[in-house]
Amino acid sequence: MKTKVCGLKFTSNIEALAKLPIDYMGFIFYPKSSRYVGEELDVFCLKNIPKGIKKIGVFVNEDLDIIMFKAKKYGLNGIQLHGEESLQICESIKRNGLEVIKAFQIDEEFDFEKLAAYRSSADYFLFDTKSKQYGGSGKKFNWGILKQYKGKTPFFLSGGIGADDVKDIKEFKHEQLYALDLNSAFEDVPAQKNKNKLARFLKEIKMTTKNKYAVDERGYYGQFGGAFIPELLRANVDELRENYLKIINSKQFQTDYHRLLNNYVGRPTPLTKVENLSKQYGTNIYLKREDLTHTGAHKINNTIGQILIAKYMGKKRIIAETGAGQHGVATATVCALFGLECVVYMGALDVQRQAPNVARMKMLGAKVIPAVSGNQTLKDATNEAIRDWIANPESFYLIGSVVGPHPYPDLVTRLQSIISKEIRKQLQEETGNLNPDYVIACVGGGSNAAGAFYHYLNEEKVQLIAVEASGLGVNSGETAATITIGDVGFIHGSKTMLMQDEDGQITEPYSISAGLDYPGVGPLHAHLAVSGRVSYISATDQEALDAAKLLAQSEGIIPALESAHALAALDKIKFKKEDVVVVNLSGRGDKDMETYMKAFA
Amino acid sequence: MNRIDQLFQTKKKNILSIYFPAGYPHLNDTNSTLELLQKKGVDLVEIGIPFSDPLADGPVIQTAAKRALDNGMSLKLLFQQLENARGNIAMPLILMGYWNTVYKYGVDHFLADCRKSGVDGVILPDLPVEEYEEDYKAKFELAGIYNILLVTPQTTRERLMQIEKSAKGFLYMVSSLATTGGILHYDSKREEYFKKVSQLDIPSLIGFGIHNKESFQHASRFANGAIIGTAFIKALQAGNSEKFLNGLR
Repeated sequence: MKTKVCGLKFTSNIEALAKLPIDYMGFIFYPKSSRYVGEELDVFCLKNIPKGIKKIGVFVNEDLDIIMFKAKKYGLNGIQLHGEESLQICESIKRNGLEVIKAFQIDEEFDFEKLAAYRSSADYFLFDTKSKQYGGSGKKFNWGILKQYKGKTPFFLSGGIGADDVKDIKEFKHEQLYALDLNSAFEDVPAQKNKNKLARFLKEIKMTTKNKYAVDERGYYGQFGGAFIPELLRANVDELRENYLKIINSKQFQTDYHRLLNNYVGRPTPLTKVENLSKQYGTNIYLKREDLTHTGAHKINNTIGQILIAKYMGKKRIIAETGAGQHGVATATVCALFGLECVVYMGALDVQRQAPNVARMKMLGAKVIPAVSGNQTLKDATNEAIRDWIANPESFYLIGSVVGPHPYPDLVTRLQSIISKEIRKQLQEETGNLNPDYVIACVGGGSNAAGAFYHYLNEEKVQLIAVEASGLGVNSGETAATITIGDVGFIHGSKTMLMQDEDGQITEPYSISAGLDYPGVGPLHAHLAVSGRVSYISATDQEALDAAKLLAQSEGIIPALESAHALAALDKIKFKKEDVVVVNLSGRGDKDMETYMKAFA
Repeated sequence: MNRIDQLFQTKKKNILSIYFPAGYPHLNDTNSTLELLQKKGVDLVEIGIPFSDPLADGPVIQTAAKRALDNGMSLKLLFQQLENARGNIAMPLILMGYWNTVYKYGVDHFLADCRKSGVDGVILPDLPVEEYEEDYKAKFELAGIYNILLVTPQTTRERLMQIEKSAKGFLYMVSSLATTGGILHYDSKREEYFKKVSQLDIPSLIGFGIHNKESFQHASRFANGAIIGTAFIKALQAGNSEKFLNGLR
């Protein structure tokens, strides 16, 4: 898709934008516009614009002579006509060797029939929002109306397109959509475009299939991610950012990490074909058995990796947060193994609810500190862990999910990606094909899903399904379905989707499963949702309980409540007989027996 | 001229800045607290926008923020309260809060309302300088709202230069690596840090751990003045805020 940036006039801004991969620049020669180029538009600057960028002059009901004079003076490649220009004018301009873009303002009453007359005299149409003045309302119109346009002339889509529209643009399919016309939504002040904002948007729109879902050098996945942290944490985060890739890619790390995964964690974990369940759903279902790892969940893949990084960085004290206690236990475990001091923050309410895991952490030698701030759950435990890190910058913060400031989401994703790496190998041995038709995983912060999806992200034929916990129901007010009901915001140092009220106060999530009970989600997931690569659905408490019971009784496997949400998705998708479906069984159900006993009493 | 610049041009030493959360201890206390601060000769005020997850704050400010939220405080309401305040209040006013509340409010809307209600600057600890420069600096400067930036003992010289370049008004010099409400200890390294920052062209105030007359005066030797937050909130809570302020000078 082509892009046009319109309404430019300042020399330095034009020069800066000329370095971006855009296809058109638009200059407005209509004196009543707030982006009117006036007399000071720099002729030399325009002549120096690279050839790959076409220069378009925008006019409204202007005389042909003036149009042609300006075109010559500024070396314009094309003319955009934004008023009630006649067919004759269009044709005259075209005869002079210039491209013609004829603009129309669209509303519900627009008669697309009248466009047919312009077919031979306009190279392109431009569809803008209907407004009282000529163009430039900065508002979007209902793109659905364009379904009525069945002509053959390609068009520019215009009117208030901004950074948040990437998803809509990708979903908007029209055979004749040729280019995006970008203007006011990318401005700091009228006519002054924000280069970085534009660059990010262009990247998202134009992303090649190759590295579409990788974090960029600034720590962003599309528009999400970054490191929104107080200056107090800057040096800590920078230290990790500067070291993590070097360490992870080192031979020493790879050797140590894989040895521990094999001999301590118990990897590779099996890929089990569950025959009874497959029969019941009329398809081929495989479970990736993270429940069989040491400590009983995928969390240990991450803590093993991070503890090695901490060790190489010479850290002596480890800080972690935990919700249900699984990450806390996995952290306490690796700290015991490496003889490092371990401090785990856990919401005071969770300390009461998850007594067995508190006992495990203590037995492993960790200090468990109840977080008494806020609502006393995972969100508050994370806040307390970060505050501890502020006061103790020599400590290592061992985060438990693909959340937090850059580089944590990328670091944890890489460490969990062992899950999909193994699935590929195992599937090939089992079916002769690396790729399944579906991979299904549950999402709280999103680390097991990130790991299970990672090596499939660029395999567009593999359908990736993420299951959020909707608690008592998506619209019940008692839910943790962040992507389904949340919106863009900032939590724990990251720009992502989160649950918040209208004042931007972060709200408390609810799910029967403590591991999915988080008001945010990793920025990678926000990006995967917005880009449409992964489908985010949700399962309620009851659906998860039913799915857990079904697996227990048909296969002899008691899943963790978190993983049961992923299993619940099997009921929501219509599979074909020959489909290969992989469900990531992220953890075992021992820790949830009390909840199960209550539910099935 | 921005009132913050005016202040630093007319006064070079012992500038006293006080922080308190809006809507605390009671929802409609914001304006009466402002009047008290002005009466007691406070030079500069930072009004906290309560947030559910104040990462850089210690327990006292956390609890106060939660109470303010429970009282029904919001950014929208704060702007309404301030609209009535400016008539009587001449001190520079700064809003201090976390980025999510501002982002959710809408940055343009926020800046417009700052102007309308006579706010001179903002402190947004979790909006890093590079994000500010890339996406928001032009907007803030157009609106004439100062974004006060923080520096810490760990801020490198290179980064200090970057921050100075984007800074307006003054630098908020965080005294020590801790959340708010701790105790400030002096040693040669700390004094060196204070000196390094106070040598810059832009004025600076020291905050975090300043809690009484003695610590205020001591800190003021190394900067243009200092900021008191937690200790003042404790006084508000105990109902002796006037006495506390009398004791500072």
